[in-house]
Amino acid sequence: MASITFITPSGATRTVERKDGSLMEAAVQNGVEGIDADCGGVCSCATCHIHVEPEWVDRVGPPGSAERALLELQDVTNERSRLACQVRINDALDGLVVRVAAR
Amino acid sequence: MSEFPDPFREHRQKSGVLVCPFQGEPVPMILGYNELRRAAKDWQTFSNNAPFRVPIPSEESVRTVRQLPIETDPPEHTNYRAVTEPFFKRPLLPDVIERVRNLVGRMVERTLDRDQIEVLSEFSLPLQAKALTILLNVPESEADIWVEWGVRVFDVGDPHADGKNLDRYLTQRLDAAAAEPGADFFSYLTQAEFRGRRLTREEQMGFANLAFAGGRHTVIHTVSTIIDYFAGHPDALSFLRADARRIVPAVEEFVRIASPLTHIGRVCHKGAQALGEQVPPGGRVALCWASANRDENIFEDPDTVKLDRMPNPHVGFGSGHHSCMGAAHARLLLRSLLSALCEKVDRIERIDAQPHIEKEAAYTRITGFDRLVARFIRL
Ligand code: HEM
Ligand code: FES
Repeated sequence: MASITFITPSGATRTVERKDGSLMEAAVQNGVEGIDADCGGVCSCATCHIHVEPEWVDRVGPPGSAERALLELQDVTNERSRLACQVRINDALDGLVVRVAAR
Repeated sequence: MSEFPDPFREHRQKSGVLVCPFQGEPVPMILGYNELRRAAKDWQTFSNNAPFRVPIPSEESVRTVRQLPIETDPPEHTNYRAVTEPFFKRPLLPDVIERVRNLVGRMVERTLDRDQIEVLSEFSLPLQAKALTILLNVPESEADIWVEWGVRVFDVGDPHADGKNLDRYLTQRLDAAAAEPGADFFSYLTQAEFRGRRLTREEQMGFANLAFAGGRHTVIHTVSTIIDYFAGHPDALSFLRADARRIVPAVEEFVRIASPLTHIGRVCHKGAQALGEQVPPGGRVALCWASANRDENIFEDPDTVKLDRMPNPHVGFGSGHHSCMGAAHARLLLRSLLSALCEKVDRIERIDAQPHIEKEAAYTRITGFDRLVARFIRL
């Protein structure tokens, strides 16, 4: 089980518990504001963009090549950007904190 | 030959560009995925601020209004797009989802009572029209009028599809809405504000025109392609049935492979270089979604349908500022369609098929069907 905290663009925090699936699914099922996930998680829409808090970047890992191509064209992309649908949840991510990217 | 041939492969691999004359104007079509996405973002060079000239061929002869928000650039575009955003987000509402599911269920059910149907006229077109009544929040009976207009509301080169029906209809509905506003799309347009003022009638017409034109043949071709795919691949339905989570990625894969909007134009007001091709000031390039969606550097085995393709960063719904506003609606409709087929249909038999051929000077491409006769067999 992992406890994940989302900080939304308006500053609200939301902590959810989940053992598997993607960060996007965890956000959508808990109605986290700003994660629209239009494409349903196939890495096509970039409406699940998050910034990983600095201390978690190594454990979450870097984006894959398709994901990077999408991220490169977003205005608010930085070196801590990921698409939430491409991040799988596991026990090692217990305590993870991410910020929902503003659009 | 592949079931889904890619007419752009050779040029994409060689130079990334294909210069195709449209109505005598040579237009460099940008074919590669990365180049296309970059161009779609660079509105200063590749502009949408050009009434009638974003579609290629241009549409001066078939409409009188500038389509909104598509034929504008930021920052104007951002404000225009925000005007209708709330309506295009309706497909996220539980009761709208329920109504679309219901509609698709009823339509599939009806095909099962028939010996055979002509899919375009008896399924895809009425389904598209009736679903649009839900998005626009108007009575379902309005769809009977829209269906009369055929698959394409207007079609450059087809004298019968001159767009006058649509103009007359929209004028009537906007007049009625202005006199007695309700909760429908037309009323919304008559009340909506843009930068602190009401929309002019011309702007209202521009929004409404695109809502009808943009989501019509795109949806119809994708629906027909899906039906035909299941007819040709009897195992595909059971594959989806085995795990309902496959429906969402399957829809994205059908949009990728069908890419019903082959390309769209951008105007280079100051001229530009596009992959070695010189575009004169005022000339155009085309963003070729259909080609980018087959880019072998991005998609493994690009001409093959993989229902569980993941990741699938396709650009069937466009890319960047102008990405499709109707995507949420189209996705709801297509996901509901796959669910209903899984639930009710054992298999589909193809009886007759005539593909729709898009024949241009430099390429020929299949987009959907002119006629498709099929039999749906109950599960
Ligand atoms: C499978 C179905 C569809 C496909 C493949 C599709 C494809 C596209 C593409 C590629 C664009 C980008 C155009 C550009 O960059 O200039 C676009 C824009 C647009 N589409 Fe769709 N579309 C579909 C359905 C719909 C539907 C159902 C509607 C409305 C009911 C719609 C309304 C729009 C609008 C309003 C825009 C302009 C957005 C803007 O300029 O900001 N589309 N579509
Ligand atoms: S949900 Fe669409 S890219 Fe993540």
